[in-house]
Amino acid sequence: MSKPAPSSAALPIAFVVLRILIILNWLGGAAIAVLLLVMPHEEWIMKALKLSGSPDARTVLLGLRAVAVLGLVTIPLNYGILKRLLAIVGTVRAGDPFVAENAQRLQAIAWALLAVQILSMVVGAIGTSISSPAHPIHLNAGFSINGWLAVLLTFLLARVFAVGTVMRDDLEGTV
Amino acid sequence: MPIVVKLDDLLHDRRMTLTELADRVGMTLANLSILKTGKARAVRFSTLEAICEALSCQPGDLLGFETSRKRSAAR
Repeated sequence: MSKPAPSSAALPIAFVVLRILIILNWLGGAAIAVLLLVMPHEEWIMKALKLSGSPDARTVLLGLRAVAVLGLVTIPLNYGILKRLLAIVGTVRAGDPFVAENAQRLQAIAWALLAVQILSMVVGAIGTSISSPAHPIHLNAGFSINGWLAVLLTFLLARVFAVGTVMRDDLEGTV
Repeated sequence: MPIVVKLDDLLHDRRMTLTELADRVGMTLANLSILKTGKARAVRFSTLEAICEALSCQPGDLLGFETSRKRSAAR
C-alpha cells in the first residue's frame, strides 16, 4: 500500500490564506459597490480625479463605471475559484484528493480563470481607450501571459485529476 | 465477473486459514479477503506468485473462467 504523505505546513497555511482571500474578495466587492454608488455624484469624482472642465470627462467617467461593473462581475468568479480551492485543500488534508469531484472543481476553476482573463483584457482595453496624455489612467489589467498560462495549467490539471481518479479507482480493486 | 477465484477451495485442501496465508504471503487479511470473495478487480503478478508459492499451486488452480450461462445454471 502507498505510504501516507509526510505532513506539511503548506496545507494549513493554504487553508488559512484561502479563507482570508475569500473575506478580502468580498471586501473588494463591497468597495467596488460603494464606488458604483458614489459614481452618480459626478462632480465629486471629477474633482477627485481633477477632471473638472475637461472635454473627455464624460468618456472617462463612463469608462470607469464600466470598469467598476466588470470588477463587480469578477467577485463571484473569484469566490467560485477560492471556494473550490478550499474544498480541494480539504480533500488533500483528508488524504483523498484523487476524487471525481476535484477534477470537476478544477475544470470549473479553469473556466472561471478563463472568464477572469477575458474580463481583465476588456478592462485593460477600456483603460487604454479612456487614458489620455492629459489624464493618464493606469489600470492593472490586460493581457497577462502568466494568467493565460494559469488557465492552461488548470485545464491540464483538471484532466490529470480526472485520469488520476480513474487510475486510483483501478488501484483500489487491485490486490 | 466471469473470473472465479478458487482460493477458498485451495485453502480448504491445504487445511490453511486465510490468516495463515496472509502471514505467509505478507499481505493484509483485508486484501486477501477482497481476493477470496471475488471483489478484486485486478491481481498483481507479485501477489499471484506469492500465493502460488505459499499454496504450492499454479495460477490456473487459483483462477477460473465461468461463462454467465454456466453461472446461472449453477444457481
